[in-house]
Amino acid sequence: MFRTMILIASLALAGGSLPASAATKAAQHATAPAHVVHVIVIDKMQYGPMPTDVHAGDIIEWVNHDIFEHSATARDGRFDVDLKPGATVRMTTVAGTTAFFCKFHPGMTGTLVVK
Amino acid sequence: MNKPLFAIAVALGIASVAAVHAQAPAAVSRAPAINDAQIANIVYTADQIDITAAKQALKKSRNEDVRAFAKEMVRDHAAVNAQALTLVKKLDVTPENNPTSESLSKGAAAELKKLAVLKGAAYDKAYVDNEVAYHKTVNAALSGTLIPAAQNAQLKSLLETGLKLFQEHQMHAEHLARQLH
Repeated sequence: MFRTMILIASLALAGGSLPASAATKAAQHATAPAHVVHVIVIDKMQYGPMPTDVHAGDIIEWVNHDIFEHSATARDGRFDVDLKPGATVRMTTVAGTTAFFCKFHPGMTGTLVVK
Repeated sequence: MNKPLFAIAVALGIASVAAVHAQAPAAVSRAPAINDAQIANIVYTADQIDITAAKQALKKSRNEDVRAFAKEMVRDHAAVNAQALTLVKKLDVTPENNPTSESLSKGAAAELKKLAVLKGAAYDKAYVDNEVAYHKTVNAALSGTLIPAAQNAQLKSLLETGLKLFQEHQMHAEHLARQLH
């Protein structure tokens, strides 16, 4: 850690923009919590179980196993993900509780809770 | 209920009665009144009918909501039929024509003719009303006759998913009908 700090300090003193930027990224890597990927599977005209313990910044991976086109459309307009048959689409979450539905099959509904 | 729909209902009703007979204890050694090849044919025919009606709607209707519904019908029913064709190939089953599928086709042809002469709002209303009635009839046949009679597990699963899908379509059509009335 001490060595890394010295390295970052010397790079900063050197004034090079590229090394400074690299150092920033390195520091972020060292401190930022890892973003977890949560998978939600759509199959047989329904959304699978909702993931628990989702935090803002985590990734939701929507996987459409159906032969039909679906969507995950937030009622408050926060997200609108189109899911062609067999598609996998990722989105980054923001905090809040969001009710969503399939805009092609509105009987399909779910609620995503992000802390 | 209009005449073509009545014919479809009667045809599906006959299938339903036959299926009930097949399930009776006395009929243990008898073949099911409706087999998987016939079921596949009925489902394919029913899907094809709705696709044809939707294509007619896309030619005739200028109502954006009706057109969006028709596009959904083409997309979803084509997906079911593609899956049904893959399945019959895999199972090496040849879809068999039968009185129910024949009656469905006959009734649908008459309905298309009737809709063809209508225009504007009158057409939109008649098309959507027919979609409500058609999906109700097909859903009743699926849940009451075709799903219980299906022997192959994959076919049964496809029919069950199809039923959920068509129930969605029925709800969508009912919602649209309320808007148009």
